[in-house]
Amino acid sequence: MNSRERVLAHIAGQPVDRLPLMPITMMLACQGIGARYRDYCTDYRVLVEGQIHVAETYGFDYVNTMSDPAREAADCGAAIEYFENQPVAILEDQALLTEKTTLATLKIPDPLGGGRMHNGIRAIGLFKERVGNEKMVEGWVEGPIAEASDLRGINTLMTDFFDDPVFVKDLFAFVVEMELRFAREQIQAGADMIGMGDAAASLVGPQIYEEFVWPYEKQLVDGIHAMGGRVRLHICGNTRRILKGMGSLGCEVVDLDSLAALSDARQQAAPGQILLGNMNPVTILRNGTPELVTQVAAECHRQAGSRFIVGAGCEVPRDTPPENLRALCEYARHHAP
Amino acid sequence: MPDPKLLYDAVVSGDAKSSLAITQQALADGVDPLQLVNDYMVPAMDEVGRRFEANEYFVPELLISARAMKAALEVIRPLLVARGDKPVGRVAIGTVKGDLHDIGKNLVASLLEGGGFEVIDLGVNVPPEKFIEVINTRQANIVAMSALLTTTMPAMRTTIEALKKAGVRDKVKVLIGGAPITQKYADEIGADGYSENAVGAVALAKRAVAA
Repeated sequence: MNSRERVLAHIAGQPVDRLPLMPITMMLACQGIGARYRDYCTDYRVLVEGQIHVAETYGFDYVNTMSDPAREAADCGAAIEYFENQPVAILEDQALLTEKTTLATLKIPDPLGGGRMHNGIRAIGLFKERVGNEKMVEGWVEGPIAEASDLRGINTLMTDFFDDPVFVKDLFAFVVEMELRFAREQIQAGADMIGMGDAAASLVGPQIYEEFVWPYEKQLVDGIHAMGGRVRLHICGNTRRILKGMGSLGCEVVDLDSLAALSDARQQAAPGQILLGNMNPVTILRNGTPELVTQVAAECHRQAGSRFIVGAGCEVPRDTPPENLRALCEYARHHAP
Repeated sequence: MPDPKLLYDAVVSGDAKSSLAITQQALADGVDPLQLVNDYMVPAMDEVGRRFEANEYFVPELLISARAMKAALEVIRPLLVARGDKPVGRVAIGTVKGDLHDIGKNLVASLLEGGGFEVIDLGVNVPPEKFIEVINTRQANIVAMSALLTTTMPAMRTTIEALKKAGVRDKVKVLIGGAPITQKYADEIGADGYSENAVGAVALAKRAVAA
């Protein structure tokens, strides 16, 4: 059973030889090939090289195209800043939708128009060529509230929920349409799964999540399913109060950050929901010891039960000691679901 | 005259228009500006902080309450400054050089302001020189730094080293926070305090200025 077969079988509820292993790595993957992170974000060949290297070094079951949250926003025309050795960032003080009226004239960029989205799609094509039969190829889209934050400015969007709910819904609808076009091209290029990162969802409470965010996340998930894709939902931060919603979107995988308990997610999510995560990537994985990592991985597995994929709560930090990451991987290698 | 207690309700519910109107009316009626701050606004932001900690309020609710508080403070502060009233402390706050993630910093800044501190918000991507300048020119006695990324955390150490070099380290308490930060890291780099959340940061700052 190879990596791809393992993950697909696990998702389908069929027997697998061991727990699948899908931790998020970006800067660590880049560091492994000695590249600049700026190049990892801007040149798909560097990203592919880094991902394949890290996946083969540690035995991950997948490769992923995520490098930063600014692909779509950049193609829309948002001001972004490149750094030599950290992720691309969006300049909130120059947010594209500082004026709400701009939304009315904002065009959805062509994902194949030679921009940053296109770069991500090219990465999928190259992954497919290099490791597509062996490993899961995962693309990436931003979720509705994450992308809306990138376009409007996260601080402003937070008050828009009260000041102009109609605008927020219009903005989310725009985002969903854009992300579906991006997802479609990624699936056509060969992505087995689409990661949906909706980090800002952890900043809002259950009321706003249910009224504004969940319905658009659901549209996005359903749309990706209709294209034949699978979805891994990842929301950074404390999602304790929105677990029920996250677990009822119908995503193949719900990837949990460390601030919410897998045991709570297991209780609240739909039956059979695959959970992924969720040890603290800094205090446990980066600052801990291999013994501690093993112990916490076992606890995550215990809380999540058999519908579980091994990973950290969020991105594995760049300076994580290799022996700690190896301990996480060994846990997957030596345990059946 | 509107009941100034309504100011408390306006801040807690995030109603900036009412907060400003009640404050203006109360001041016109001769209510002491400091009384408005101490009796209504500080307790209101305490309540907002409590609800935030109890997961009853989330970031949007906290931000609209902060906005309501600021609307009132904008008319109150010049009066306090004019008569020489001193804030609890003066905080220079910002995300460290290279880090553009400011929502956590903004929550802390708002709660500090609600706690009676004067907050000098330096924004994002703040180089050490900027903190030093504010210590020298505006007599900040607290430097509060935030970082969301493990890759930008080291700028906290660099900033503390720069404060030492500039001879201003002893003039301020340095407080740090952000998702990857721990007490151990704060100890390692010689910060005076760390809080894992925004509400704790206010208590920490109060302890720091009392020490």
